[in-house]
Amino acid sequence: MLYLQLAANGVVYGLVIGLAALAITLVFGIARFPNAAAGDTMTLGAYVALGTQQGSGSLLLGGLAAVAAAAGVSLLAWALVFRRLAKRSVVALLVASIGAAFVLRAVMGVAWGHQQQVFQVPLAFPILLGELRINPMDLWLGGVALAALAVTFGVLHLTPIGRAMRAVADDPDLARISGIRPDRVMAAMWLLAGGLSAVAGIMLAIKTVVSPELGWEMLLPAFTAAILGGIGSPIGAVVAGLVLGVAQEVSTPFVGFTYKIALSFVVMLGVLLLRPRGLFGRLEAVR
Amino acid sequence: MNITRRASLAATMAVPLVTPALAQTAETFRIGAMNPITGAGSPYGSGMQRLIIAAAEMVNAAGGAHGRRLEIFAEDDQTSPQAGVLAARKLLDVNRVRAIIGSWASGVSLAVVPITNDANVLFMNTSGAPALSVPPANARGLSYRFQATNDRFGRGFAEIAVREGFRRPVTMAINNASGIGNTEGFRRAWAAKGNANGVHVVYEPSQPSYRSELQRALSSRPDVVVMGSFLPDTTIILREWVQMGVPVKFIVPGWAGNPQLVQALGPVVTEGIIAVESVSNEGTPGFTAFDEAHRRMMGGRSGLENVYAAMTWDMVVTIALAIEQSRSFETAALNAAIRQVANPEGDKISTFAEGKAAIAAGRKINYEGASSVLDFDEFGDVTPDFGAFFISRGEITRRYIVKI
Repeated sequence: MLYLQLAANGVVYGLVIGLAALAITLVFGIARFPNAAAGDTMTLGAYVALGTQQGSGSLLLGGLAAVAAAAGVSLLAWALVFRRLAKRSVVALLVASIGAAFVLRAVMGVAWGHQQQVFQVPLAFPILLGELRINPMDLWLGGVALAALAVTFGVLHLTPIGRAMRAVADDPDLARISGIRPDRVMAAMWLLAGGLSAVAGIMLAIKTVVSPELGWEMLLPAFTAAILGGIGSPIGAVVAGLVLGVAQEVSTPFVGFTYKIALSFVVMLGVLLLRPRGLFGRLEAVR
Repeated sequence: MNITRRASLAATMAVPLVTPALAQTAETFRIGAMNPITGAGSPYGSGMQRLIIAAAEMVNAAGGAHGRRLEIFAEDDQTSPQAGVLAARKLLDVNRVRAIIGSWASGVSLAVVPITNDANVLFMNTSGAPALSVPPANARGLSYRFQATNDRFGRGFAEIAVREGFRRPVTMAINNASGIGNTEGFRRAWAAKGNANGVHVVYEPSQPSYRSELQRALSSRPDVVVMGSFLPDTTIILREWVQMGVPVKFIVPGWAGNPQLVQALGPVVTEGIIAVESVSNEGTPGFTAFDEAHRRMMGGRSGLENVYAAMTWDMVVTIALAIEQSRSFETAALNAAIRQVANPEGDKISTFAEGKAAIAAGRKINYEGASSVLDFDEFGDVTPDFGAFFISRGEITRRYIVKI
């Protein structure tokens, strides 16, 4: 029973990691670089949602505004920075994304201040399922995450632009000579990644407190999940996020609370040593 | 004429040598203000930094310290050891400061103190970690702490727990020098009173959920949870706790149980929380001088709101008085003079101008600060009193003071 409860405690965190990892893995699969600005896009989503909620009183409206704003900023970052560096090395793009992250964080620090802020959400006693205690807010957040995932996978697998994205991820050159316009694919991908980051950011912010460092601190577990899931594999990122979130909590009776974070790194080491392509990744084809 | 590069360099170098009088008048005593403007210390950092600047202005208005103006170089340590180390390096290497003052978080102070030791400059902090008292951190005796150690805080917590009649305490600590210092200080003091300690949970910062940690802490049905924590984690833990529906009281450090906590969680969740904070040297002329400056610098807000700003104010005054006393700007001489001007015996003085006049008249002085009576023990630590603040209906009220 204890373990089941611990696992339940880890699910929402796992979903947050999974969504962030999904945003990272989409960028990696299509634009082919690790995007260090993903964390700060999350933070932006959290702040926009918070501001809109305080102004309008509606969390739903806040969420929608956050998704729109984060998607917009994500697109802007691509148009202004990453697009111009597209032919450069991965390192150039990675460093540029770290720079974009710094700019975003600094702007948010000036705009919203460095004092912690919190979402005013109703507090409620847990729902009892047998002996299992589930927080009602966690159910809501879980629902939101699943909806975001449904939309993302719907776009990827059921729409023409999603098919084009997957084609570019598979083989950009082949995609181009098949008549796929890379700019449209890129724009759509950055919008999607920004929107996903916003959802992850809002979820994390509702569970914790909002400060300019919110998303930056999530980057390590999110990257770990992206690697564990197999870089570039959307479903892998989500599954790996959940595995990490749940494993961290379930491990605590054995390793204690201070080492649960290290578990991510042990997992990452293990993956890199034993199965470098990750859970769902494919081997890079040798050309 | 043939001007070589070497000759022109020599000519440039010679300029300061031929104008010693001019250089002398422009010379200042440089102090680095390294404060937590952002991060967990941000509720206090801006006030700390502004009161350093205000204190320096006051010293300069009184004619400076032994003829030199104090010059302040301000940095943000972001309440983060990495950022603190960068800030300290910049202050030392670029600004050539002779003292770094106002470090708040223990983690930052422990990271920075080896650097100030190597550079042979004074270091003054408001951190709690017991390790700052002794070598290696304070191997050279250049580090001064204007706040109670976490160990003393823990003793204060234990006094309050006894007074409130708690019997089954458990402890929860954030995994850093401050949190662990607080809770271990409490556990030692609690055991010394002949009581049994409960579960001890150490947790990581910035976690999205602390429910598993809370389940463990509350598993033994305690009547009080004694926290060694900071504001963000306390916010998350209390929100999680209230949704678990397990009745228990909390004793938290004042930097976690502050108005920001009440603002974040509202009066219902925070009802009955006891916050423990060292209290300023209220009702004394030293505090009044600080309070006036605080109101002027901080938009009319009372100096009671920020005990750390009183500490940084005292840091500047202490250094300036030590300069007056030693008639020197060298670290060794200043360091030797600090206890002379701050500790008994001597005429009790509470402002820089007063102390300067007394020293000029050849009297021994004892600075009674805005933050405490400011008597440094052999470790460079002071012993302030503690206030027990109770949060009720969203108001934070001090009910009594505990002396240890």
